[in-house]
Amino acid sequence: MFDRKSFVTRRSVMSLAAGAALAAGLTIPAQAQQEDIVVGGSIPMTGVFAFAGVGINAGMSDYFKIVNDAGGVNGRKIKFVIEDTGYKVDVSVAAFKKITSQDKVNLYYGDSTGFAKTINPELDRNGQIMMAGASFATELNDPKKYPHQFLVGPDYTEMFGILLNHIAKEKPGAKVAFVYSDSEFGRDPIESSEALAKKLGLSVPVKIMTAPGSVDVSTEVIKLRRAAPDYTIFHGYILAPIPEFVQQGKQMGMTTKWMGTFWTMDSSTVMKMGEAGDGFMGVMPYRYYYDDAANSPMLQKIRQMRPEYQSTAYMQGFLTAMLFTESAKRTLAAGKPLNGGNLKAALNSIKNFDTGGIIGTPITIGGNSIPVGRVYKADMKAQKMVPASDWISLAK
Amino acid sequence: MRIGTLKESYVADAALFDSVTQKRMLAAGAALLVLFPFIANDYWLYLACLVAINIVSATGLNILTGYTGLVSLGQAAFMGLGAYTVAILETRLGTHFLINLWAGGAVAMLGGIIVGIPSLRVKGLYLAITTIAASFIAHFLFANFEFTGRTGGLSLPPARTFGIFLDTSFRLYWMIVPITVLMVIGAANLFRTRIGRAFIAIRDRDISAEVLGIPLLRYKLLSFAVSSFYAGVAGGLWAYFFRVVTPESFPLVMSIFFLAAIIVGGMGTILGGILGAIFMTMVPELLKLIFDILPGGREMTVFLSPVRTVVFGLLIVGFLVFEPLGLAEVWRRIRRFFHLWPFRN
Repeated sequence: MFDRKSFVTRRSVMSLAAGAALAAGLTIPAQAQQEDIVVGGSIPMTGVFAFAGVGINAGMSDYFKIVNDAGGVNGRKIKFVIEDTGYKVDVSVAAFKKITSQDKVNLYYGDSTGFAKTINPELDRNGQIMMAGASFATELNDPKKYPHQFLVGPDYTEMFGILLNHIAKEKPGAKVAFVYSDSEFGRDPIESSEALAKKLGLSVPVKIMTAPGSVDVSTEVIKLRRAAPDYTIFHGYILAPIPEFVQQGKQMGMTTKWMGTFWTMDSSTVMKMGEAGDGFMGVMPYRYYYDDAANSPMLQKIRQMRPEYQSTAYMQGFLTAMLFTESAKRTLAAGKPLNGGNLKAALNSIKNFDTGGIIGTPITIGGNSIPVGRVYKADMKAQKMVPASDWISLAK
Repeated sequence: MRIGTLKESYVADAALFDSVTQKRMLAAGAALLVLFPFIANDYWLYLACLVAINIVSATGLNILTGYTGLVSLGQAAFMGLGAYTVAILETRLGTHFLINLWAGGAVAMLGGIIVGIPSLRVKGLYLAITTIAASFIAHFLFANFEFTGRTGGLSLPPARTFGIFLDTSFRLYWMIVPITVLMVIGAANLFRTRIGRAFIAIRDRDISAEVLGIPLLRYKLLSFAVSSFYAGVAGGLWAYFFRVVTPESFPLVMSIFFLAAIIVGGMGTILGGILGAIFMTMVPELLKLIFDILPGGREMTVFLSPVRTVVFGLLIVGFLVFEPLGLAEVWRRIRRFFHLWPFRN
């Protein structure tokens, strides 16, 4: 039979007391320490978008490491929690739910337009989180509809705007062809950009829609050749079928200048086009890893931390982390709680902000996007992307 | 231990649940479903809702493929039809969610009947290929019509009933799970009727079924109709759950997901559809939890994420190799073991 008296021994009382003292010792500093700023992330480490997810994660982690090593934001450390999504919306939402159930999340990184749209009602209802992500969808660039989100760069229509502005300056009255994928991503900027082209005095003789990632594009190339555009802008692809277009077009004697938007423009992606890709141009909101421009302390720091080439997705992640941190810093400096509304207001207070060289011009975030970019050109001999224009800002 | 079950009437013999143990387990399961939202956090509630939606769709596909033997890769397209119908009705008319879900099921049912017409001439893989067309046609319709919101799709407000907005996983649970339970019971009962038995007869040997007096035209199309009704309702629930419907929400790979779910779960059994949907939805999440426990933190996540996908793939292959009858058969074996436990093992 269980003997209650024998249970309460001196040893047990002593060990209980010691345990309590130890627990108190552990908990007191924990109470004194301020709460972490939590950044969550639904990031694709597997699946079709893993090439970007890995870079984004590395970029964000590196910047938060720099901040934490320097003492955090107002003494508060940044805790970065991610989950792999495989680039599937339902898995991304599950990741969001998991991370927000475990931690009091202040900032979040989403992996797709689908996720950004799906989670938006939850962000509005919750009111505690500001979100950015891998999407540059024009639809998200609407502060009324998406008050707690922002794009870390120009939206797709603005990317076209930067390219068209460059073209209008380089060759007034030029003919510009649009080649895009039959997807939400591909169709996004087409209608609005056609209107902008006309406004800039350019003409759009042909718009060609293909299946995403299609391989056989010979009939489309013939159609493009017939239109004889001065410039051809691809959108809605990562790589395929752009090399096919470029190779076949060059074989047919086309003299059009080929252009792409952000997700095509990583250095390693363009270099895969081989010799035919020499001179391929496109819009890039960030400097490339190997850009040795002066006054770029952050690029130098990145190169010190990671001696091997880092993708433009890395730069996007790095800048996202920087803007998250800046928003948190400004919110805390104003003595306001870290919630979605305050963080977004702090973000929108950013004017002529120096990104340490990640973007080559000071940035101002008036709405949901950063409408700044530069046209770069592939130099296959040097295996690098080189600037083909100065920084172009569409900010009014 | 459970020994022989005595049945004194045909009704008792055809009962859905024929033993006291089964009824007790069912009651315990129902109690668990009721208690679950009060003990689970938002993450687990989200997963429970997602699993429930997948169960409805997998059960629908099981009726068509598992019970009637008609292989379909159009399930995601039918879900899309249901989801878009619900989104359009909710945004334009604001009708009650139950009406919208019925309408979603009905529209998908019509789509299913049309897609099912070739099933009279083609079978097996050939039929699967014809049903793939449904995915592409549906995608084209969703992406090009003004009223479906083109490529941007449609966003819909939360479902509401008695003035309550069903906008959290907790509230949605009370909409999704009861509907799932009703639909699963409906499917189980279907196979106690002439219609259900006719489906099975067609699966086992369609020529013999016709000789026995089962009109193949009517019953094959009926199977497509019932199956796509389930998919339509699942799609409607999906629309209320995610509140955004785009043409890219229901890709062909989603149909493959459901086909894999019923193969892994066990074709031709209601339990198979349920277990398959749970397996396919939950195992990747559970693998994440297991991998999270491993030391190394986030740096390891980068390395282990692809490994996790490989492990998931190997698990599916493993099940197919070692238990081709699916998880339902594993469950049945466990039950048989306990029937005579502890006297025989």
